Amino acid sequence: MALIYLANLAHYVPEIVLCVTMIGLLFVESTYDDDATSRPYLFTLAGIGLLTSLVLLFFASGDEPQAIFTNSMVIDPFSNLIKIIMVLGTLGVVYLCKESKDIATNLKAEFVILCVGVLIGGMILASANNMLMLFIGIETLSILSYTLASLKKHDERSSEAGLKYSIYGGVTSGIMLFGMSHIFGMTGTIQFAEIGAAMSTLSPAEVAILMPSFLLFFTGIGYKIACVPFHMWAPDVYEGAPIPVTTFFSIVPKMAGLAVLVRVTMVFFAEETLLQHSWIGTVSVIAALTMTVGNVAAIGQRSVKRMLAYSSISHAGMMMMGAVVLNELGHRAILFYGVTYLFMTLVAFFILSFVSDRYQNDHFERFNGLIYRYPLMAVMMIVVMFSLAGVPPLSGFVAKFNILSALVNSKMYVLAVIAGLNSVVSLYYYLKIVRIMVFKEADASDNLPGFGFQNQAIIVVLTIPVLVLGLFWSNLMSFATGAKLFLIQ
Amino acid sequence: MSGSSSLLNWILWMPIIGAVVTLLIPKAKENAVRFWALANTAITFVLTLVLYAKFDTSVGGMQEQFSIKVPWIEQFNIFYSLAVDGISLPMILLTSLLFFICILSSWTVTKSIKAYFALFLFLQSSVFGVFLAMDFFLFYVYWEVMLIPMFFLIGVWGGENKEYAAVKFFLYTFFGSILMLVGLVALYFVTGQGVDSFNILALHGGQFTDLTLNIFGSEWSFAHVFFVMLFIGFAIKVPVFPFHTWLPHAHVQAPTAISVILAGVLLKMGTYGFLRIAFPIFPEASVYFAESIAWLGLVNIIYGAFCAMAQTDVKRLVAYSSVSHMGFVMLGLAAMTTQGMNGAVLQMFNHGTSTAMLFLLIGILYERSHHRWIVRPDGTKGFGGLQTQMPKFAIVFIIAMFASMGLPGLSGFISEALIFLGIYERFTTITFMALLGLLLGAAYLLWMFKRMFFGEVIEECKSYTDMNKREVFFMLPLCVAVIVFGVWPNPVLNIMKASVNDLVTLLAQF
Repeated sequence: MALIYLANLAHYVPEIVLCVTMIGLLFVESTYDDDATSRPYLFTLAGIGLLTSLVLLFFASGDEPQAIFTNSMVIDPFSNLIKIIMVLGTLGVVYLCKESKDIATNLKAEFVILCVGVLIGGMILASANNMLMLFIGIETLSILSYTLASLKKHDERSSEAGLKYSIYGGVTSGIMLFGMSHIFGMTGTIQFAEIGAAMSTLSPAEVAILMPSFLLFFTGIGYKIACVPFHMWAPDVYEGAPIPVTTFFSIVPKMAGLAVLVRVTMVFFAEETLLQHSWIGTVSVIAALTMTVGNVAAIGQRSVKRMLAYSSISHAGMMMMGAVVLNELGHRAILFYGVTYLFMTLVAFFILSFVSDRYQNDHFERFNGLIYRYPLMAVMMIVVMFSLAGVPPLSGFVAKFNILSALVNSKMYVLAVIAGLNSVVSLYYYLKIVRIMVFKEADASDNLPGFGFQNQAIIVVLTIPVLVLGLFWSNLMSFATGAKLFLIQ
Repeated sequence: MSGSSSLLNWILWMPIIGAVVTLLIPKAKENAVRFWALANTAITFVLTLVLYAKFDTSVGGMQEQFSIKVPWIEQFNIFYSLAVDGISLPMILLTSLLFFICILSSWTVTKSIKAYFALFLFLQSSVFGVFLAMDFFLFYVYWEVMLIPMFFLIGVWGGENKEYAAVKFFLYTFFGSILMLVGLVALYFVTGQGVDSFNILALHGGQFTDLTLNIFGSEWSFAHVFFVMLFIGFAIKVPVFPFHTWLPHAHVQAPTAISVILAGVLLKMGTYGFLRIAFPIFPEASVYFAESIAWLGLVNIIYGAFCAMAQTDVKRLVAYSSVSHMGFVMLGLAAMTTQGMNGAVLQMFNHGTSTAMLFLLIGILYERSHHRWIVRPDGTKGFGGLQTQMPKFAIVFIIAMFASMGLPGLSGFISEALIFLGIYERFTTITFMALLGLLLGAAYLLWMFKRMFFGEVIEECKSYTDMNKREVFFMLPLCVAVIVFGVWPNPVLNIMKASVNDLVTLLAQF
């Protein structure tokens, strides 16, 4: 038994590397004085750890799916790609943290350590194959996130964000656990596969009990994805938290939550049952609501960060649509969407961060006439905004196209039209930024120190995938198609 | 591949080459930018003339000698597929001619001219893309890409209310195209995701007539639902009433050259969409909805004409006259007879030339007056006696106006006559009511002309100079076009005839 465990560890190296990195970071951090102005080894170590993990994940992406640790975790190409997205996102955010002024220098170490911790939680979630691991993943992810949100210790809004986040998180975890206990009570197991197998043998009374239990269970996942009606915390937390944290929150926990949603949906509800109908119906309605509410709320925002926060809610709704179709078309659409969403989000937040570092706020007016001051950066922002809205030939369009195809293939025309109309709504507020950058005169001529050569170069490098994946998406598509979910054996 | 087979590639990518080079020219050399843009559009124009010369008028459907088909996204069977037929060729010729002329008319643009010309050339390429693409996905990509340069061209170089106009234009069209996107994805899956599932030509022929689809438990005809979706997508572009509200804003706020392109080419993309996609893919549905389309066309004609009559801004007046004239195209399409369809395609071409002239002339006038009021809001005259002050201008204006009105001997007459011939046998009532539209058209144009050109020369008009050589030079080809095609439309009719007949034959089966 012990030997099998050890052998299983071989499939778990990326996560272990990150755990070691996290502990290493703690040691490195303790060697610095509180007022040290730079922390060179910290970012190097974090970078090395994340990159190693990334490389390992890449090499593992072709491997056969494995259920490890007595079936409690599953390593399959699907979870691998999700992890790659999350690690890449973390890498970007760690770099942003290094450059950003929104996090005090003496807190950057904490930020990096916590980020890696949240990432590990996310990776557990992406691989979770039973209720227990799912819960551990969610809690690892959440508890560290609460601290991240209140990272600006002396800022009221940041503390408020942390408190709000933890209260919401605590309540939803409780509700979710309650749901899980019902599911366990009805099926007698916490293993996903066994629960899935039990689905078709339930008596009507059991179905009646399980229907609300699954809704309670969904609460926890929905809260991580920040879908309506569990999204209330998101804008305040996103606004209160420092920008790198917001960036992080709009990538890693969302992707982890989506991965779980997809896995749970596929394993529990692959066969046509009454529960399947109620689950799919619920998730579809919630996805449609999430998109719509996120988009409509984003229109009125004055703060770019808040607008991006709402837009990330609506993107999550869009990705959720990929889960309701219950087939591989949907999964690959989610994965493709995830990859493009990652790059778009990073670029948008990078630019936002460098602009707002200079002015200490992120109102729309800060972008006035950016094209006359930093044409390259403004063009990158325009590209990303159009891509987020889904204008071809950018990758955001291809991502939406894939989601639409998955929906239409399953004959969910109404959802497809709702999804389409939502991108029209979203175009309005994305255009707002474009408009301000291009049509308005620049009202200040001072330099933005954030846009040094290095940062500009990195932003351009991050934008290239947004462009290229819009034109030549065959390869990524094959990759995403290959990233299959490991199902019941 | 023979030598001529890459011709379409050259036409499509030449403006992109032009745009890239424009961006590389140093900022200070403004004239170099202008001349390069001019040279580039001239080359493109020559290339399209070569295409015209090599075009085989006896063949309906696609001209195989020009077709290009290369896989793009293989998993989805998306191809980079270009082809040309008798319906798209007139539009391509029109596009290359108007862009060439518009570069000349944009000579006076001074604000960030590098960006202006680069975007302008980029726009040209995407318009070609729409007319050449034979893969539905590729078509859609070009259809949308076109919005990006338009948005910036209106928004940066436009008039005082440019932002509103640019955003409205973008959102409106985007809305329409999203519906089209759902339609194209649905077609893709219905045809089994095969090699031809995005191939517009393979989708032709009414194979979807008997399909049904189920929305919340009620049965709908697949063809009808998706025809309506595509219809809305294209109708917004045309624009068909009630989807026209973006047009007056966009036209009025856009700089002259962009208004010309908008009215001359972009509106035709909507009707081109009907001819290329909506009608041949869903022939049964188009016949089913023909009468509604005809009624909408009629509303366009009458409503557009009345709106035009009420305008005090001359550019707005011409913008509404476009609404009215595109109504005739819709009528011709709805007729689904040989004459009607031919008339519609010819009207697309002729309206492109005559409206372009009017917009160019208004642009010329605006450069002198810096306002466009026929009657100012306070009731005083904006212009008066231009005939005396600017005789050359007045002559060209008269030609443009009569061409637009449909006076016999000028281009508008033939296409409108064909449309009426075509529609009469199908919808007699509508024909008679549409004739009223012709009358109204004459009324608002003549009334405008009277107020602006006749009478005493008002004080501020005395400083206006007549058209200079550059302006005469770029108006000349269009003057020739409206006169020549008014007397002898065969060069255009011949190239479209075979293709239009194919379409009419197809529609006649349902």
